[in-house]
Amino acid sequence: MQDMQTKPNGPVAAAFVAAGIGSLVLGIFVVLNEVSPDVSNFLKFDANYGLGAGVGPLSGKVFLGTAAFLVSWVALHLVARGKEVNFGRWFAAALILVFAGFALTFPPIFEFIVNLVPAAE
Amino acid sequence: MEFTDRELWAVGHGLVLGSLFLLAFGGGLAGLYSLKAHYLTEEGIAERTPRLLIGSVVMAVVAWLTVISGTFVVYPWYRATPPDGIDRTVQSDALADFPRYWLLASEKTAEWHKLGMEWKEHVAWIAPFLATAVAFAVLYYGAQLVRRGEIRRAAIIFFTLAFLAAGVAGLFGAFITKAATVA
Repeated sequence: MQDMQTKPNGPVAAAFVAAGIGSLVLGIFVVLNEVSPDVSNFLKFDANYGLGAGVGPLSGKVFLGTAAFLVSWVALHLVARGKEVNFGRWFAAALILVFAGFALTFPPIFEFIVNLVPAAE
Repeated sequence: MEFTDRELWAVGHGLVLGSLFLLAFGGGLAGLYSLKAHYLTEEGIAERTPRLLIGSVVMAVVAWLTVISGTFVVYPWYRATPPDGIDRTVQSDALADFPRYWLLASEKTAEWHKLGMEWKEHVAWIAPFLATAVAFAVLYYGAQLVRRGEIRRAAIIFFTLAFLAAGVAGLFGAFITKAATVA
């Protein structure tokens, strides 16, 4: 319930969830880069789009993770601005997304996932 | 005594920005933790809110600068490919200029790349996302954060997770630099 002397919490909840989305998208592209040579080539934003030099697929992964963070922040902000949301639920969702992102960037975990995909062999 | 460009960038990325990040984290965390109505007078809240704001914004800015400089300046030197004439299976002096390949040339050092660098280069990017969300919360609420316990606690958790992500990256960065420097 909103403390009537403070601003509504929607915009802050949106920022927290957007950070989680950025983390998860980064993690997903870490896995996809290992699974598919086509995705790996696409993620070479340094060679494909001039985003840095010699960075390789990491350039695409961090660009797309950052873009997901910023775009989802804007979208969620528009949805939640001026609103008092159930912050506990939004933050729980944000934490799940962040932990998923953490997990997918951890080599033993993403290598385990890659080994489950036949096409990666 | 002299530094190469690469050494200066590596020091700037790891030591200078890393130290600033630690400093901002300590200040920001202490500020967030102690921002409780029963700890502070109105004057106390007004006095420490700008400091909390500076700490959280500095941490977010430094986190972005650290990952951008690490990814787009230092990392390409780390992953540079040696020319065909250099044997990639022996840790020779010639291969030492190509840290990724030097580490992979021996089973004793390969895990520094396969686990350390592979995790570091990715997990570090989570830190600026989290730190930016916290900085926004502090900017948005300002002194009102004292009446928003649930958001203050969430900010502390995100702040700590940002520190852990940066800590993993910083720790592996230090170990990898010791094993195979980019200088």
